[in-house]
Amino acid sequence: MKDVYNFNWDDLGDLSEGRPNLGGETSVLVYRLMQFTFKDIFSKELGKKKTLELFVKAGNIAGKEFCINILDTSLQFNDFIADLKEKLVALKIGILRIEKSDDEKRQYTMTVSEDLDCSGLPIFDESVCDYDEGFIAGIFEEYTGEKYNVNEVDCWATGDRTCRFEVKQVEN
Amino acid sequence: MDSHLILEKIDSCLKDAKKHGLQKKGLTFPIDPALVEDDELRDICSRLASFFDMLNEAFHYSEQLAQGNLQVNASRANIFTMSLKGLHASLTHLTWQVNQVAKGDLNQQVYFLGEFSNSFNDMIDSLREKQILEQKLKIITDVLGEGLFLVDSDGKIIFSNPEALKLLGYTFNEIEGALIHIGIFKQLPDGTIFQPGENPLCNAIQIGNDYNESNGVFTCKSGFMIPVMVSSRPVYKNDTLDGAVITFRDITEQKKNLETLETINRLLEKQALTDALTGIHNRMKFDKILTSEIQRAQRNNSILSLIIFDIDHFKQVNDTYGHSAGDNVLIRLTRLITCNIRVIDFFARWGGEEFVVLSPGTGLDGVIQLAEKLRGKVEGYNFKEPGKITLSFGVTTFHDGDTDTVLINRADNALYRAKESGRNQVQYN
Ligand SMILES: [Zn+2]
Repeated sequence: MKDVYNFNWDDLGDLSEGRPNLGGETSVLVYRLMQFTFKDIFSKELGKKKTLELFVKAGNIAGKEFCINILDTSLQFNDFIADLKEKLVALKIGILRIEKSDDEKRQYTMTVSEDLDCSGLPIFDESVCDYDEGFIAGIFEEYTGEKYNVNEVDCWATGDRTCRFEVKQVEN
Repeated sequence: MDSHLILEKIDSCLKDAKKHGLQKKGLTFPIDPALVEDDELRDICSRLASFFDMLNEAFHYSEQLAQGNLQVNASRANIFTMSLKGLHASLTHLTWQVNQVAKGDLNQQVYFLGEFSNSFNDMIDSLREKQILEQKLKIITDVLGEGLFLVDSDGKIIFSNPEALKLLGYTFNEIEGALIHIGIFKQLPDGTIFQPGENPLCNAIQIGNDYNESNGVFTCKSGFMIPVMVSSRPVYKNDTLDGAVITFRDITEQKKNLETLETINRLLEKQALTDALTGIHNRMKFDKILTSEIQRAQRNNSILSLIIFDIDHFKQVNDTYGHSAGDNVLIRLTRLITCNIRVIDFFARWGGEEFVVLSPGTGLDGVIQLAEKLRGKVEGYNFKEPGKITLSFGVTTFHDGDTDTVLINRADNALYRAKESGRNQVQYN
């Protein structure tokens, strides 16, 4: 057995072949069950801080792969965002809405409603969409080739009805 | 403070709020929890007080949102503001969407905002259709074989299509904002510059009239003029005159064609007055000349003589040697005659094998001599086929009061006599 696993999009398998009757979709409940149990066990093994870091990193890989395999990176920015919004809805990941954009500074405020990770959660004191932060950063990084910092400033879990992310290009 | 009193105080506060609304200061919790001795009651009062605060905050928050203030905030733990925060986020997003549209981004769709999504997306669809129409219009102006300018109501150039620039030799930067009636349409075809107030295109633009000129000139960057056909139509914005669309076409080629046409017409006219076979004047032309020469002779009391002659037995030539041989005889004969008359003598084919010579300044003796000379020349000339031919002549001279017909008839009678008398001779009358 290899010591290291490198993610590969093909590892997701052929769902049409593998699930001819059940299809490509499952319930959000199952998705969250996996996420939160991972969070549980990781935090106990590695500590909460490290766990959240790893969630962001994993989300980042997911975002990059999503961008490469699902999105059309040849589009101009506005078209790309429109495409991203459409795909996020189509794949039932969430409803992305831009609130502010500064194309020169490459800074954006965006919300994700009905977010896969946190919508409907009881109120904690902290935002929980660390995986999403990484996911969004991964998409922007893959599209632009620049480094991005994404911070969830509001979350369903902190009392908002939508998750709000500040997206900023990291200055070199 | 006992529970009964606490409830009474809260109740009167709520009654008041129901009656007057929350007003500016909002709800004020009527009890200071610190003054409640009982631990359990004090905790309840604290919780109720914090609910009052949340209600006040939610009230204030919704009021600000209702006024369109999207900068307003509510604390995270306020459970009354949660749906409002959703609304707040939607409004912020819609503001962004609208700004994007204003910037020309027609790619965004609004998802899951109820009726608003439908309206917004419908609007985007119709704007896209307009955009497509605009693109089509742009293509049309690009490929249009005519020059096109858009000017404002002062005549300042706002837009021009590639053809306009090509025809006039400008780049758009060079003429953007220039007045069309100063640089481009400023003169008449003869080079006269329009006087102030008299430029017809400028006047049409300023008044909002149509203007059409099929024979104008535009001045190119090089200073050269090109002949143009130009049309101008006013355009309106909200019922106010907003300038004009001007189209023009280079009609240099057309003019050239026109010139060619004129040449052809001149040729046709000439042909109409020339005998097609021999190239000398025809009867129509002769009639005109005869009339004017008679008038002149009458007016100036000058002398004028007329010869009519025809080829003896010409029908036999045609019958024996064919029509093309007959034609050759006619052609050679006319050359021979032309060489033996004066420049001022007017020689024409009268019809068939009959010819006329009108000889101004020649009296009867002179014209008899001329006819004799011509007769002799032809008699001595060797025509290939049929070899020899002869001519019969009738001559006469102008008498005071003669009309065209009278003069011709007299000559014709003389010719008749020449024929009767054995041909190859000159008779006069
Ligand atoms: Zn969240």
